Amino acid sequence: MKLEEIRSKTEKIDRELLVLLQERMGLALRLKKFNLTVTDPEPQVDLVARAERLNLDLIERSFTRQLLNTIIEESKRLQEEDRQLVAFQGEHGAYGEVAARGLIPAGAYIPCLEFIDVFRGVEDGQFDLGVVPVENSLEGAVTQVNDLFKTMNLKVIGEVKVTVNHCLLATEMTDYREIRLAYSHPQALAQCREFLSRNKLEPRPYYDTAGAAKMLARENPKAAAAIASALCAELYNLEIIKEGIEDGPSNSTRFLLLSREPYAGDGDKTSIIFAVSHQAGSLFGVLKLFAEANVNLTRIASMPLRTDPGNYSFFLDFEGSEKDKKITRLLEQVEAQTISMKYIGSYPADSTTV
Amino acid sequence: MKNLKLASGKKGDRTIVKVSNVEIGRGFVVIAGPCSVESESQVLETAHAVKDAGADMLRGGAFKPRTSPYAFQGLGLRGLKILEKARQETGLPIVSEVVDPRDVSWVAEFADVLQIGARNMQNFSLLKEVGRAGRPVLLKRGMYSTFEEWLNCAEYVLSEGNPDVILCERGIRTFEKYTRNTLDLSAVPAIKELTHLPIIIDPTHSTGRISLIGPMSLASVAAGSDGLIIEVHHKPEEALCDAEQALTPDMFIDIMRRIRALKSFLDNPGIIEKNNSEAKK
Repeated sequence: MKLEEIRSKTEKIDRELLVLLQERMGLALRLKKFNLTVTDPEPQVDLVARAERLNLDLIERSFTRQLLNTIIEESKRLQEEDRQLVAFQGEHGAYGEVAARGLIPAGAYIPCLEFIDVFRGVEDGQFDLGVVPVENSLEGAVTQVNDLFKTMNLKVIGEVKVTVNHCLLATEMTDYREIRLAYSHPQALAQCREFLSRNKLEPRPYYDTAGAAKMLARENPKAAAAIASALCAELYNLEIIKEGIEDGPSNSTRFLLLSREPYAGDGDKTSIIFAVSHQAGSLFGVLKLFAEANVNLTRIASMPLRTDPGNYSFFLDFEGSEKDKKITRLLEQVEAQTISMKYIGSYPADSTTV
Repeated sequence: MKNLKLASGKKGDRTIVKVSNVEIGRGFVVIAGPCSVESESQVLETAHAVKDAGADMLRGGAFKPRTSPYAFQGLGLRGLKILEKARQETGLPIVSEVVDPRDVSWVAEFADVLQIGARNMQNFSLLKEVGRAGRPVLLKRGMYSTFEEWLNCAEYVLSEGNPDVILCERGIRTFEKYTRNTLDLSAVPAIKELTHLPIIIDPTHSTGRISLIGPMSLASVAAGSDGLIIEVHHKPEEALCDAEQALTPDMFIDIMRRIRALKSFLDNPGIIEKNNSEAKK
């Protein structure tokens, strides 16, 4: 091994240690939700004792004990801080985390494998808040999430638009001229189709953009790159080969902030879901109420009812707060004219983009 | 000239190469900037200086074909990112050299115009690659090349489906040693007779002497060139490459002023008679 190589490997390991510690701290914070702390005596003693028994000849037992105690101390300190646990789907560095950071600047951001884990985790009280994508400017509604809103009982308390700025990332050792494969979420690959074809890169679907970046950093497959956010480059020590590689000029995703409790303030935007009977003019009748009340709609989307194929539910966002008497009255009228209506929250409208 | 199916000229049907809002082949276009990208601050400072002086595009090499393998070879990808940042800040389109066929698609991701240097003029695999890259090509004349050889190289790019070739005269080798090369200004009217492609002049590499750059720039304007490509460095004494021939921003401002004056006179020669008659009154 050359000196350079040894140095770079050492740096990589140190980085991985820190990323693993970050994951561990996240778990420590989640422990708090079970009303347990890391200082509960039994598991802690156990942990240190078990680790000491590992036969690692380069690591002295005293060092192991010291190191683990330091980590436990730090976990304890972190648990005492009053950080909100904010769940998002994907690995660290995912666009969901970018949205979460924009919405809750000093939170603890917890990665979840699936959207349903975010919804369930918030509902169960494992997380304080959740962040999910609801629509993309190029690809439209995120159907899975819209579907979950129908079945889960969570409230929307905020929204944020995230500019999707895809980057081609590779490990430092990779010569960009030798890259042949690009791993990423199918959505991201689709948004960068022209870039991939211009540079003769083969798209390889992966479950998550940040997941692809993480895999790249850990496994370093030959001639491969990942498409993910610039945040991923920082987190996984990858080099940005090219920024802004999406084909469309303005690509953004709107994320909603989920909570068990409704928004405490007034808010200026409201979201509902409703279904109407299969009759001529029934949808028009509902929309007419909004027109007559002079309420501006900001989004309307339809989703097939999974339980009743051929019928649809409608997602409506409009200006105004449920606490406003005019809107309260309007919602009562809507309820009377629909088969079902679900109010999912009034919240501050986001005018900025992260 | 034989076999110039696409490059040979048709009268009144000149090619205009559009690069963002700049049109080469219409008006007079000045491309300025450092020989090579050395650092972010160097490129950004120079970019702002040449923009303020009225340059239309920014030049800067991230890949340098150097006479010696031990000389500074360029920053590569890092250099391209710096150029991209300079475009974001100044809005100036970027002209950058490509030396390796494997780099072509990548340089095309960052630069607006791909430059083929004099030493690579007859690198046919590189010419074919830039012909397919979907970006305008600035093709410099090889230092030992005839017009015919040069235009055949343009033909290589055109035949791959890329209609946007800008020719650049940068001096040829003669027995004269005082100047780095001998600027063949006759290339401007000659090329305009032979082809519909635009031609610009590089007064920096052709002379290799700061004192000659200004006069030869004005001569290029008079000869009917479509533009100039000039080396400007915010601190020439610190340049890693071609330090002896880079203009300071102040020198560049002065040359730009003269170019504009000469250009406006050539566009409207009657102005002298008008001034003379006014002076007599």
